Amino acid sequence: MIATAHDIAPANETGIADVPTTNGMIAMRNLESQIVTQQSEVALDHSTVGAQVALIELITLRGLILGRVADYERAEEIAERLVQSEPANGAALVARARTRGTFHRFLDALNDLAVAERLAPNDEMVNIERAAIFQALGQYDEAFAIRQEAATRRPSFETLGALAGLCAERGEIEAAEWLYLESRNRFRGASPFPLALLEFQFGLMWMDDGRLDDARTWFDAARRRVPAYAPAQGHLAEVEAELGEVDTAVARLLPLAMSSDDPDYAAQLARILGDAGRADESRHWCEQAAARYDQLVVRHPEAFADHAAEFWLTVGGDSNEALRLARLNFEVRKTPRAHELLSRAISANETAGMTFSSVLRPPRDRSRPTT
Amino acid sequence: MSDHFSGPRSLTDPASDISDVFAFPCPDSPQHLVLVMDVFGKAGPSAHFSDAVIYRFRLRPAAIAATGTAASFAIGVDEVTFDFVFEVPSNPQGGEEPAQHGRCMTPSGESIPFRVNNEEGGSGDGVHVFAGQRSEPFFLDVRMIEKTVATGQLAFKKVGADTLYGTNVLAIVLKVEWAKLLKGGPMFALVCETLASGKRPVRIERVGRPEIKNVTLSWKMFDQVNRDLEIRDLYNSEDAFKLAPDYFDAYRARMNANLAFYDGLDGKMDWPVNEQGNHPLTKLLLADFLVVDASKSLGELSYFEIERSMLKGRIHDTAGGRWLNEDIMDSIFTLYVNGGNGPRVDDGIAGPIAWSSKVFPYMASPNPPKVVAS
Repeated sequence: MIATAHDIAPANETGIADVPTTNGMIAMRNLESQIVTQQSEVALDHSTVGAQVALIELITLRGLILGRVADYERAEEIAERLVQSEPANGAALVARARTRGTFHRFLDALNDLAVAERLAPNDEMVNIERAAIFQALGQYDEAFAIRQEAATRRPSFETLGALAGLCAERGEIEAAEWLYLESRNRFRGASPFPLALLEFQFGLMWMDDGRLDDARTWFDAARRRVPAYAPAQGHLAEVEAELGEVDTAVARLLPLAMSSDDPDYAAQLARILGDAGRADESRHWCEQAAARYDQLVVRHPEAFADHAAEFWLTVGGDSNEALRLARLNFEVRKTPRAHELLSRAISANETAGMTFSSVLRPPRDRSRPTT
Repeated sequence: MSDHFSGPRSLTDPASDISDVFAFPCPDSPQHLVLVMDVFGKAGPSAHFSDAVIYRFRLRPAAIAATGTAASFAIGVDEVTFDFVFEVPSNPQGGEEPAQHGRCMTPSGESIPFRVNNEEGGSGDGVHVFAGQRSEPFFLDVRMIEKTVATGQLAFKKVGADTLYGTNVLAIVLKVEWAKLLKGGPMFALVCETLASGKRPVRIERVGRPEIKNVTLSWKMFDQVNRDLEIRDLYNSEDAFKLAPDYFDAYRARMNANLAFYDGLDGKMDWPVNEQGNHPLTKLLLADFLVVDASKSLGELSYFEIERSMLKGRIHDTAGGRWLNEDIMDSIFTLYVNGGNGPRVDDGIAGPIAWSSKVFPYMASPNPPKVVAS
């Protein structure tokens, strides 16, 4: 299936045991430092498109590491403003496409990329972004064609890692594992962020494949590299809970649930506490998550439909709302996960006494005030 | 900050991103050379050196091998290196800012400890070092350079806008007694590198001359041979003293194309190509190291003076290298556009926010952070 992956000449063996990178605390302080100065530059009247794009990328990276929705929103705001002032600049459009992709506004993102491509044909960045969106939409063949071509033409940490992520999502575990390790071997640099992100992806693959010990190994590697990496901490806690280490998982999630503006951590904590019979604590975090999901689904329906549906389907206990959001999610992207989520939501509603035809009627919309 | 964001790989790794290199005779001590490596352009207040990077100064003896149109250097093989490494910042006294410490390993095997941002630095046998945040000495108007390239017309204004005004860098300053610690001389070739530490350190970036990777090599559109090639990443991975043959033609084609573009900006040709189609500066610039003559005294405008003299077949007057306060963009544009046969090209930026001094650690104190309305 992935014959081309094996056609790529292997990089020099550097060993997978340990790749030294900048201490995670230094890296986070340096990222903050970059953001502070880049904001100053962008505040000037004569700031360049490059400076604004750099700021968008830095803030998005911080959002990715800290799991901070506010950062994604800030990046999107800057990108919108940038395109308003520079509507014929390809780099600005690619930057906006990326922020729109983050919020699952995939069609808007593809439109931006189409305009960017007309302005700057053969821009490699346009195709890279387009592949990411195709992948998110579940259009794996289109994404694969782009990612495979890029990895064959220029086998690098970036191109092989991206292809690995796609293979993992397609369930091609053996090929994905080979590509992950090959990507890791080709890493040249000192920043911990790219490797932590790759290790996190690797962990996700094993978690989805049910190999929890392997998942823990890679989530833990990402966490050790960048201790502030919230999604790695969150998923590590999830795996720990699955492996029966509930106290460790709760201790890991509690600070994230308290500090993060992403409700996933509170939802996860509520679920683990509920499973452990700690009902009062679970209820508290469930309420926190519910309120936050409601806010975010209003602001970014496409982006949060998936995780909010999961929440309502499980610890949130509202299969009706779960179905509405799962259906919205499936309309936005037809990935295997979106299909599986919708199936579970339909099943849950059938169990609750609904018929399939009643399920197809639009349920109440929690994003609108009730009268 | 002439080499900032010099390749895709450096984007998320500011502490390993070399922005500038300087080499000049010590203003008050002729037996010393001063070498400077700047990293982390636009460093904010919380910027630190990486604990996973080796910051390396490499020096080799240099001699003039040929003059005239075939001008070139002969670089000796006796190399000395000065490696700087840094620790994870710690806060033993519980103060607000964690302090970072580092060490300089000299060619004689000495390890000189110092505290980052301490202006007294650290001292050893024939060596005085400093590392810390300083005011950005480089100044340029990026917008007008981009406009120049986009329009094919020199776009500098009478009064430009310094893209780096008021910003800071992380600087490493090395003052070395050259006759004692370097091999050969008095002319030396310097290249600075960052390397990912580990059992087998891997080069992340290298810089010798100013603005080779950005202003000189980055533009792809004039290159008819490798229009799609992001050349800077490959270039960074090469040994400056021994370019591998694999990509040499690609670098040469890019350099020839871009230099020809700059030469045409004043409507006349000052740099006719040779029979092989090579620009007269290509060979010298691809030898991407700073050549400094320690026997000469400090000059304000010395960058590339040794090489220009070689091209004209005469003896150089200055130390060459690069002094901190030189208006390097004017020097480079003048060199590329008219080869010194016309008026000095003025990019409209007369200086940085603060001039460097002639007293150790030479570079001006860091600027306060700017206040940004959120």
